[in-house]
Amino acid sequence: MSVVDWPDLTWSDLQLPSLPALPQISIPGLSVPDFWGAPMQWLVLVPALAALAGITLSGRSNRLAAWIAVGGGIVTWLASLWQLRVLLAVDGHHASGSVGPLPLGELDVPLGLAVTWPLALVAATVATVALVVQVYSRWYLWYDPKYPAFAATVSVFTAAMLLTVVADDVILLVVGWEVMGWCSYLLIGHHSTKTAARRAALKALVVTRTADVGFVLGMVMLAAGARTTSVSGIVEHWAAEAPTRGLVLALVLVVVGVAGKSATFPFQDWLPDAMEGPTPASALIHAATMVAAGTVVLVHLFDLLAVTGPARVLLALLASVTLLGGAVMAFAQADLKRLLAWSTVSQVALMLAVLAAATPHTGPDAAAEHLVAHAWFKALLFLATGWLAVLVGGTAMTTVASGARRYRVLRRRFAWGLLALAGVPPFVGFFSKELILGTAESAATGSGGLASVVVLSAVGASAPLTAAYCMRAWLVLDRPTQIEQHAVTYQQEPVERIDDFFDEPQVVHEAEGLERAESAISSSARSGTTLLAAMTLLGSLVALLPVWRVDVHLNLQLLVATLLLMVVAALAVRLAARGVRTRDAAARIPARASLAAERGLGADYAYRLLVATPVVALARAVTWFDREVLDAWVRGAGAGSRLLGQAGELLTPRRATPALALVLGGVLVLAALGVVSR
Amino acid sequence: MTDSLRTAVRQAVDLVPDLGTWWLALALAPLLLAAVTLLAAGRWGEEPGYRSVRTVSVGAAILSAVGVAGTSLHRPRLELPWIDGLGVWLRLGADGLSIPLLLLTALVGVVAVSLHLHVPQPHRPEAPDEEGIATTSPIPVVRGTDVPGLATYHACLLLVVLGALVAFLAGDAILFFVGLELVLVPMWVLVARYGDPGARREGAALRFLLVTVVGSTLMLVGLLGVATLVGTSDLSVWAAQGGAGLEPRTQVVLAAILLLGLGIKVPVFPLHTWLPWVHSTAPTAASVLLAAVLLKLGTYGMVRLVVPVVPDGFSALAPVLGGLGTVGIIWASLACLVEEDLKRLVAWSSVAHLGFVVLGLSTGTQTGLQAALFGNVAHGLISALLFVVVGGLKHRWGDARFTVARAALRETTPHLGAALVLGMAASMGLPGLAGFWAEIGAIYSAWAPADDRPDGWFRLFAALAAVGGALAVAYSARVLHEVWSGDRLEPRVPDAVRTERYALRTLGALVLAVGVLPMLLLAVTAPVTELVVGR
Repeated sequence: MSVVDWPDLTWSDLQLPSLPALPQISIPGLSVPDFWGAPMQWLVLVPALAALAGITLSGRSNRLAAWIAVGGGIVTWLASLWQLRVLLAVDGHHASGSVGPLPLGELDVPLGLAVTWPLALVAATVATVALVVQVYSRWYLWYDPKYPAFAATVSVFTAAMLLTVVADDVILLVVGWEVMGWCSYLLIGHHSTKTAARRAALKALVVTRTADVGFVLGMVMLAAGARTTSVSGIVEHWAAEAPTRGLVLALVLVVVGVAGKSATFPFQDWLPDAMEGPTPASALIHAATMVAAGTVVLVHLFDLLAVTGPARVLLALLASVTLLGGAVMAFAQADLKRLLAWSTVSQVALMLAVLAAATPHTGPDAAAEHLVAHAWFKALLFLATGWLAVLVGGTAMTTVASGARRYRVLRRRFAWGLLALAGVPPFVGFFSKELILGTAESAATGSGGLASVVVLSAVGASAPLTAAYCMRAWLVLDRPTQIEQHAVTYQQEPVERIDDFFDEPQVVHEAEGLERAESAISSSARSGTTLLAAMTLLGSLVALLPVWRVDVHLNLQLLVATLLLMVVAALAVRLAARGVRTRDAAARIPARASLAAERGLGADYAYRLLVATPVVALARAVTWFDREVLDAWVRGAGAGSRLLGQAGELLTPRRATPALALVLGGVLVLAALGVVSR
Repeated sequence: MTDSLRTAVRQAVDLVPDLGTWWLALALAPLLLAAVTLLAAGRWGEEPGYRSVRTVSVGAAILSAVGVAGTSLHRPRLELPWIDGLGVWLRLGADGLSIPLLLLTALVGVVAVSLHLHVPQPHRPEAPDEEGIATTSPIPVVRGTDVPGLATYHACLLLVVLGALVAFLAGDAILFFVGLELVLVPMWVLVARYGDPGARREGAALRFLLVTVVGSTLMLVGLLGVATLVGTSDLSVWAAQGGAGLEPRTQVVLAAILLLGLGIKVPVFPLHTWLPWVHSTAPTAASVLLAAVLLKLGTYGMVRLVVPVVPDGFSALAPVLGGLGTVGIIWASLACLVEEDLKRLVAWSSVAHLGFVVLGLSTGTQTGLQAALFGNVAHGLISALLFVVVGGLKHRWGDARFTVARAALRETTPHLGAALVLGMAASMGLPGLAGFWAEIGAIYSAWAPADDRPDGWFRLFAALAAVGGALAVAYSARVLHEVWSGDRLEPRVPDAVRTERYALRTLGALVLAVGVLPMLLLAVTAPVTELVVGR
């Protein structure tokens, strides 16, 4: 039927043939020293200690705090590389201990750590992004007297995420998970004098922690069944038998918790509000840590998830709704940062969706790979946005219009980041999304069932939507400036020549902007974003490493169709943007709809109406009952005994001697009783 | 490297001489002597100045803490006949169950006596047009000053610590009861005489006395009952017999009486109403001791006098106890969501945390008992930390309402602010801080209770307790939102003074250490847990 004879292609055909033969490159006389402990222990310990040192030692000195934080970040990063090297040497699985085992009675709590290839790469990505964020926030919060606390919190955050990545114990997963939630509270609310930031922080903490009730209970149920908290022990125990009701319930609860942290429907609304935090915090929360933690946890538990139908279907539905809804909402936002936030909602849902779709045959690595890819380009986009916001004074779409033209240093960063986000070859997003598409397709045609089919259609539909909002953002950012337009009118020269700024007076103005843009950022922060930009391209090589164990057949027809759809969507956006002053295609959306989208479609109102108000009403009822009913007994007893006392006082003679006589008499009676009863 | 560290620690510990029962004397005698000296000092001649009073009192507390540390290290035992006729012996000694609580008591005792006492300012009615705004007032004095009756106040604090130490060291039921009673009267004096006059202190003191005396009476009846039936008041014999020879029905009755008496002291829902009252009135140091030490006497009593002694009776009542603990968690957490007085809020949160402890106890598993014992110490540290902060704030603000506009702690008093953040984070059960292990352990053990417990009910309790954990986050975040963060800089209040800073740092460091390295505590209690439950 097909006109073209599509070649047969599997993912392994694309992958690099083998790992670069690192172990063989041995310089004589220089061997890797045998450090104390395992790299994964250092991965968690170093940032935690850096945070402690930062808080206790730095006092009011921002500079010392920065040294400690960045130094900790560098050591963590080295540990993550060392981890990769150890994995090369030991063939892909490395386990170690932590502070355990705990003597907790019948429950076995080994508190072990373990790492495999995909997770080691995730850890390396997290460490890199965290380091860049540390360097960047030193510049971004240069004059902030609360910078030491911020840097320490970022370090704790990194430690918690790395703990979640390398944990082989559900207790440690819960530890990392909750600590991240708490750190996000501190980071989002960093500008604690701003009412909006305080509210956003409170909302993030309460919403995610509410969902975590499910997470904690689910983990407790898993551990209770296996009588151990070791993840490998739990998987072994539960996988040994057919999925029971207990396993289904536990995983459904875990999925609910994951949905909360990953800002999946119906918990999505905390994430866009979290944009009130400083931009480096947003970059960290969105790129590599908090929202991605759900993916990591489900990768840990994938062997159980894959055999539990209801949990998969629930996850597939929630993730698919969020995937598409997030992309649509991103298109309608009037603020670049909120656009990126909704795009995170959508992209993280993509990771969760492929976890729901995957079968034991295809494996979960597509999700981990997209996590890595997403970390590179989303961190890049956020940090570039923060930089631009410093230059132009805000992130509203009208403010950032022409930003990439006026400050050309940002041009390539935004372009590469958005291309990777849209999934255009040869950027890293293309490969990871291709793998996701391939996994969903293989699972849907294989044994994946309903969940895979739902996910496949959602993933297919999300590609043009993502392309649309990326195109929209790019058109606004890349709008030709007034001066350029004048240049075109008067000189009829190709605008590309604008770089040559010594020629004409109008362009000198641009050149000033250029210089300001160059000098406004510290060189280290700038090279951090350069690194991230490079990784959106070089990351493709990481994505093609043979360590991702995926057995996926690629459907080239589907691939070409998806790319075509993306092109069509981008062209449609370009068309819609014509004639709008800011080249913003979203200006075509009716005002009411775009306002509603900016307000998150009233999710905040729904949270208050459905949860907060009833709970507070119940609390008022409880305190009323406590005061009027429970305490009434105590008050009554108090009054009663006082009355009794007054009655006794009336009956008792007031003078000392008769009173003493009465007491003596009582003693005598008692003594007599004692004698008689003896 | 850990091994070499361990060896170094062991060698350092070996350097400490074994003083035998002198350790016990060192733990108890300084407190008694200092208390008597202080009580007598004011009676003849003029009152001593605050410096000498504090020196004597803090010195005694530190000496006693050294004694407690030595006792915990060498575990000496003292057995002397005391009241022959009743067969009561003076049995003192420490084991894994009591060592964490002894150390906690000694530490919190030092913290409590080192805090400055301030005369509460007379309550000033607000002008109607200034309602909702804290009025400008003179900057409160936060350093030590001469206060009438300071010597008596310190003597009362020392007596409370002494009573608690005696109760935790007691190896005899009657001695335990004596220690328990020794605590009450000085505590009542602290609340009634030094409490906040604006908070209706007579009501609070009355509630305290009434409720705890009723509790004590019930407990005495229970203790005498067990002692008569077993034939001795030696606690080790009680535990060794394990209820052998007691009819199940008798056991249930005795367990009910004892649990009722101890439940008032813990306090377990619905006997908790006295706690917020007393806390809102008591001076800071008394609040610290009450929360960190006195409430622990109740849970300790349950583990010591009920669980191993009348096991059948306890397991019959355990579902009720666990259910009440769980209701207490939800109930108190909800109350915290609308409470407007910071000290009352922390008191409510104590009820919730002790609900977790009681829930863990009632599951009848080693995991649950370990979690409960851990929760005891964790709550002691956390609530002491929080009450130091909150008591300090109450003194600075003039009252403890936090819904009126105050200066944001983060901007004006960063030390107090940081301590409040740490305390609230620990209070919400944040992992890495002390509260977490008790919470997760209680939830786990309720999900997997002992074989003779009704699974269904306990699983419901586990789910509700998990919801209570989320409510704890909500109220802690509410407090931080209102008190810690914000942009208001007025009215300015002074930050923590040196003693407060030392106290907060010590407690904060311990909260963190116990949270990160839980085996420090779990390893001490594990052998005892096996003995208590493992039969």
